[in-house]
Amino acid sequence: MDLRKEMGSDVDGRTLNYCFSCGMCTGGCPSAMITDSRYNPRRILHRAVIEGRLEDDIWLCTNCYTCQERCPTNTKVADLINLMRRIYVKERGVPEFIKPLIENLSSCGFTSSIGDLENKRRERMGLPRIKHNSEIREIIEKTGGGL
Amino acid sequence: MSDRYAYFIGCTTPFRESNYDLSTRKIMEKLDIELIDMVDAGCCGLYYELVNELTYLSMAARVISMAEDLKLDLMVICNGCNGALYRANMKLKQNPELRDEVNRVLSGVDREFRGTVDVKHYVRVLWEGVGVDAIKKKVVKPLDVSVAAHYGCHLMKPSEELRFDDPGEPVSLDELIEATGAKSIDYYEKSLCCGGYVLAADQSIAYNMTGRKLRNVGKAGADIMVTACPFCNVMYDANQRAVASEMKEEFNIPVLHYPQLLGLAMGYSPKDVGLEQNRVRVDPKLFR
Repeated sequence: MDLRKEMGSDVDGRTLNYCFSCGMCTGGCPSAMITDSRYNPRRILHRAVIEGRLEDDIWLCTNCYTCQERCPTNTKVADLINLMRRIYVKERGVPEFIKPLIENLSSCGFTSSIGDLENKRRERMGLPRIKHNSEIREIIEKTGGGL
Repeated sequence: MSDRYAYFIGCTTPFRESNYDLSTRKIMEKLDIELIDMVDAGCCGLYYELVNELTYLSMAARVISMAEDLKLDLMVICNGCNGALYRANMKLKQNPELRDEVNRVLSGVDREFRGTVDVKHYVRVLWEGVGVDAIKKKVVKPLDVSVAAHYGCHLMKPSEELRFDDPGEPVSLDELIEATGAKSIDYYEKSLCCGGYVLAADQSIAYNMTGRKLRNVGKAGADIMVTACPFCNVMYDANQRAVASEMKEEFNIPVLHYPQLLGLAMGYSPKDVGLEQNRVRVDPKLFR
């Protein structure tokens, strides 16, 4: 897999070339703050540009978009990290911690099954029952989004 | 302004936060906004942004198409749903080739994305549509509490696309809070993310992020915290005890959904807005 080529074929991915590693993204990043910069978006982008390397750390992004708001070169930092996650899935498969979500979506159309317990509580509150659906499974299958 | 919306509650709300759904319906009724239910809509597609873009866009387009069938704009109450659906709607409206590709997928479930409606978070509906002055007129019991507002991320960001309020210096939720008579306070790192998005990938990072904010809210002397997203609320309220245990410190900060706060100011009882279901006990004396 050529990471730079994969990213270059995406409209947001091409903004990777705008990055000059100033570190504004990392300076405002909550995951970087909590991990003492073990999670480091500046380094993730730099390694992608220089070495074409995909880091496992991409899964520690909170998707808060603070990096993208702060970036002085309009590099779509958060969108790039999401793109790298999709490339990661294509190359190495779905990470274990996402699998239960996909299983639930395929079986009921929700990220968590809305069962009798939840629906009885809703009825007591005068709220409508929630119905599961199979359409989302069909969409997942048709788009190759399954496990 | 439309006073009817296709009402989408997503997954987290019916699974864990039905009091959010309940209180939203109450305040909208008082504001003469009619909500048309989409009870079998299911997931907005948010998580597939990380897995498969065509799956994500097709799932989002499916939900939007249900509102299009009702000929109504779509109102969401979750920041995650807001970001996913708003951005997919914009992308598919602007890109006919992508729209055709998505519609080929949707034809299998007898649906079509046409690009005829808008996606709106209820904070946008209240702040831009109804307006703070009109909301103040519905307040019959002004509240005397100090509130730490938590906006969350996908209400405003990425701002280049969502174009709502100013993520650097937001005022919408603060003004909506102050419309109830409450005082919305400033506090350190007010814009910090709740961490919910990395909860499954790394619980310790998520809990430390959540706890850091709870600590800041406590230090600022707020009586309560108010959220506008069910998952942010799960992190601060439902997970507060686990976060406290991870951080080895106590918080005891009640966390309300914004519609619960407004509902109380509109004269609804604590039970009317499902306050007994909040995990961190809310002292009713705060709202006497």
